[in-house]
Amino acid sequence: MHPLRALGRASVPAAAMLVVGGCGQAMSAVNPAGPQAERISDLTWYLTITGSAVFLVVLGFLAYAVRRGRRRTESAEGPEADRAMARWVGGAVGVTTLILLTTLVYNFATGRALADFADPDALTIRVTGHQWWWDVQYVDRAPSRRLTTANEIHVPVGRRIRLEVQSRDVIHSFWAPNLHGKVDVIPGYGGSTAFRADRPGVYHGRCAEFCGLQHARMDFLVIAEPEEQFAAWFEAQLKSSAPPGDAVQQKGQQVFLSKGCPLCHAVRGTQANSRVGPDLTHLASRRTIAAGTLPNTRGHLGGWVLDPQKIKPGAKMPPNPLAADELHALLGYLQSLK
Amino acid sequence: MSERRSTVDVSGLTTVPFGHRSLLWWGSLGFAVIEGFTLLLMIASYFYLRTNELDWPPGRTPNPDLLIPSINTVLLVLVIVPMRMADTAAKRMDRAGVIRALLVAEVMTIVVTTLRWWELLALNVRWDAHAYASAAWGVVVLHSTLLVTDVFETGSLIALFASGKARRKHYPDVSDAADYQYFLSAIWVAIYLIVYWGPRVL
Amino acid sequence: MSATTGEQAGAGLLDAAGRAELERTWAARPGLWGWLTSTDHKSVATRYVATAFLFFLLGGLEAMVMRVQLARPENGLVDPDRYAQLFTMHGTTMMFLFGVPVQLAVATYLVPLMVGTRNVAFPRLNAFGFWTYLIGGLLLYGGFVLNTGPDAGWFSYVPLSGPQYSPGKRVDVWAQTVTFTEIAALVAAVEMIVTILKQRAPGMSLNRMPLYVWAVLVTSFVVLFAMPSVALASMMLAFDRLVGTHFFNPAEGGDPLLWQHLFWFFGHPEVYIMFIPATGFVSEIIPVFARRKMFGHTALVLSLVATGFLAFGLWVHHMFTTGLPQLGQSFFTAASMMIAIPNGVQIFCWIATLWAGRPRFATPLLFVLGFVFLFVLGGITGVMVASIPFDQQAHDTHFIVAHLHYVQLGGFVFPLFGAFYFWFPKVTGRMLSETLGRWNFWLFFAGVNVTFFPLHFLGLMGMTRRVYTYHPETGWGALNLLATVGAFMIAASVLVFLANVFRSLRSGAVAGDDPWGAHTLEWETPSPPPPYNFLHIPIVQGLYALWERTADRPVVTGMITHRREILLTTVLDAEPDVRYQHPGPSIAPLLAALAVGVTFIGGIFTTWAFVVGPVLLFPALMLWMWKQSPPAEPLTESEQPA
Repeated sequence: MHPLRALGRASVPAAAMLVVGGCGQAMSAVNPAGPQAERISDLTWYLTITGSAVFLVVLGFLAYAVRRGRRRTESAEGPEADRAMARWVGGAVGVTTLILLTTLVYNFATGRALADFADPDALTIRVTGHQWWWDVQYVDRAPSRRLTTANEIHVPVGRRIRLEVQSRDVIHSFWAPNLHGKVDVIPGYGGSTAFRADRPGVYHGRCAEFCGLQHARMDFLVIAEPEEQFAAWFEAQLKSSAPPGDAVQQKGQQVFLSKGCPLCHAVRGTQANSRVGPDLTHLASRRTIAAGTLPNTRGHLGGWVLDPQKIKPGAKMPPNPLAADELHALLGYLQSLK
Repeated sequence: MSERRSTVDVSGLTTVPFGHRSLLWWGSLGFAVIEGFTLLLMIASYFYLRTNELDWPPGRTPNPDLLIPSINTVLLVLVIVPMRMADTAAKRMDRAGVIRALLVAEVMTIVVTTLRWWELLALNVRWDAHAYASAAWGVVVLHSTLLVTDVFETGSLIALFASGKARRKHYPDVSDAADYQYFLSAIWVAIYLIVYWGPRVL
Repeated sequence: MSATTGEQAGAGLLDAAGRAELERTWAARPGLWGWLTSTDHKSVATRYVATAFLFFLLGGLEAMVMRVQLARPENGLVDPDRYAQLFTMHGTTMMFLFGVPVQLAVATYLVPLMVGTRNVAFPRLNAFGFWTYLIGGLLLYGGFVLNTGPDAGWFSYVPLSGPQYSPGKRVDVWAQTVTFTEIAALVAAVEMIVTILKQRAPGMSLNRMPLYVWAVLVTSFVVLFAMPSVALASMMLAFDRLVGTHFFNPAEGGDPLLWQHLFWFFGHPEVYIMFIPATGFVSEIIPVFARRKMFGHTALVLSLVATGFLAFGLWVHHMFTTGLPQLGQSFFTAASMMIAIPNGVQIFCWIATLWAGRPRFATPLLFVLGFVFLFVLGGITGVMVASIPFDQQAHDTHFIVAHLHYVQLGGFVFPLFGAFYFWFPKVTGRMLSETLGRWNFWLFFAGVNVTFFPLHFLGLMGMTRRVYTYHPETGWGALNLLATVGAFMIAASVLVFLANVFRSLRSGAVAGDDPWGAHTLEWETPSPPPPYNFLHIPIVQGLYALWERTADRPVVTGMITHRREILLTTVLDAEPDVRYQHPGPSIAPLLAALAVGVTFIGGIFTTWAFVVGPVLLFPALMLWMWKQSPPAEPLTESEQPA
């Protein structure tokens, strides 16, 4: 392994704490999980080390100059002093230019490599940014194999992913630092980027362009898993929702269908098929809800359904006052949507 | 206490400078640069928005009419003549000549300003129809603010000279107004070509 | 007709009566009326600087609240709506109400003194500029207080800031604040250019012009070409919101990127508008405290000019993640790196001068040294983000927040504080305390580093900009807390500065004309300078005017004292050319600014304001141009009836 990469992987920057528990890897632009982020990480280390060296040298010169000057009894004047200073200044400008040119070349090479990552075999995923969640669609020629989900993107390890982005409303930006640099999601424009995850893991991402009140709570997950696991997940997600298993779930489905949820949400296998809000067909299979705001547990889900405005003020989802038994049934149903 | 000081005596210098020897000339130049550059950016935006459309004007919007805009453009160019005469009269410090020439120019400019409304209508689309409409209206309206400023400036100079309150130091202001007029007319020719002929070519 | 030299003892010099008449002619009217009508550049400029500094304090308070909110994860000090207003107000205040205005205001004070003239080129226009700026600031804060403060960020990206996603008047308040401040900046720029080109004292040819004056000249040209872009963009946004135009609406052929191009075409040069005069401060402070002439004067002038030009070639580096074609973007990478070269030339020449001189430590020099440290660090992260791949990770994160504060606080505010300590004695006649100055400096220097250095790491760890809170699991809490501690250090340093100012105004050591042994012309006048600046216009004999003049200290004679007369000289060689009479004080500039206020504040609500406002402006302009002081004998030629 390249020493820089080993260094990068081993030392998450000073004072950083690793995210622990079920939430997966710490976000980091210098802990790459794929070739795109790796190229950028290498460039980052080069820039940091070179930059630090330049900084120390310039400050060293400043310190020396001030000390030397303070020891003088009279100023250095005259053509000889001027010539000496001209040589030093000229030399410094020359070295600066050289460092800048080298950086420029390395920079262009990296940019080139990042761009040359397209692949006709790539898995294409289309992400649509909304205020304040991510619609995720797996593109396929056959309509029956187009999967729609929200906020959680699964990808097979080792396969190139082509990500197409578009916006439903304002400018957002799609960013999963462990995998690649960010790509802006601009209405009227179709952006795209490409990446590959080379090791399994749960990689955090978030929106990186101020998009309104809940910009801070517009996260997503990219879960990289081995091919078979990915295929199993994909097939399971393609299926419609299972019918309610028991009386509680049946009642819960009725609550879902009658309390206005279908106005915004889709659950394949029922009459609910709105595209305004996130697709909930396999809600229970996701690790987080509300675009990475809360862990997907019964308690959090209940609090969210009852009053999203308490958790994500300004979110487009209104409060839903429910009687205790209605809520209990609804949660039973939602948690069955695996 | 008297002391040995060398001095430079400037009492012989003029107090009525023309052209670049006057401060107002430079001030006017500064504002012309600002206004001209703003117009340039507006025109650049017009071309930038063009790249978003297949047709220009887009959809069923017709091309702008040419009759009134062309007449008005000719008029605005012709205003240069009386303004030049005002400039020459000012340099001769000929008060009557200045008033006469400025009056002719002012009448012509008022006509142009009035016809400017029909030039906007000649665009054949409301400003809020689409981006093309907004950009075309934007360019013409921006220039119109310069036109209105010009009417005001020339009018106040006429009033100043006609009322007898003008002093010799106001003669260079007439020359400045003339320079501003040349700028105004020249830049309009470019706008006219871009906004009224451009869609037929772009 | 030309100037003649005279070598007789006392030939043409003003006697006591002449001096008294000069004082009467240039005096402001008494009391509040005098304050409202003053056209003395020093009076207008001190107000301008004080107002800008007040906005600096307000912007700082906004920052403090944000830092307290971010000190802990899931903190509940402010809700997301208030937080959005806070970061928008902070950015808008610092960039539009403090950064550019303070630099132009300081220039308005110093430049006429430094070039040896009595006032700026258009005294009434200068006053108008200040009032317009003040109205803009009051509009923004009035809106904020009424819960109608802008909340879409200081660069207000569309479509978020457009009519559909930002209903109400918040963004309109922002757009019109920009209009007022941009008018004021353009006015100041025109003043500076014309004053510098036409009013330099005889003998101050271009190659004898001080480096600070060069810096102001270059900056003013940058203002001239940058401000129109934001003026246009904000008017387009205002019209999209008010009358339904579609400049930025993609559904009707408009383009959100058009906003970004227009805004950043202004926005990048804007940071240079703040930075270039700061390098001018440094270039004035170093020779005085190194007690040696600056090494590399020509190189420094060329660097200033090069920076001014290059500043316009960088703007797309704010748009590296928008998906523009790579080849085009690469040009902007190259330009963004290349601008480091003229900056480097300046830094190396400054270091060389310190080496060759005999530096003596005083607060102004400390701030200059702090500036070099902070600005080089910020410049290096600048080269980092100029690299597109790296920027694709760092853009819109706290890495950028770190970078921009290092170059802004370090690159512009530190030299500004150095300039305050340097020129305070001239403006007020009192010295600031050295002891408090050192506390000010060290607290500020440490505070900036403690606040902003951790943000580099936070950015690369995923902390994006403009987030009102974050999860504890991110692990960002510790570094955020550290940054907040730093913010309090900065606040403390500003309090020390204020204490220093107030104490010194009352009981600081009396400064005298030239406490530092400096070389530019303003140090020849009393502290503070009289309204007419110089009793006699000086004749300049070298680049270091006060260090290089002959014992007889030649001056200009033959100017009248019963009118406000200034001397115009030729552009290149500063040879005496014209005697020009300025109008006296007037209430018209304030009235005109109020009319402009009605136009653009009214324009937030109705298009009729664009008719009513100009109608109100008309009489104000009549008063401005026509009401002349009654003719005083003897009449100059310019005052003879036409």
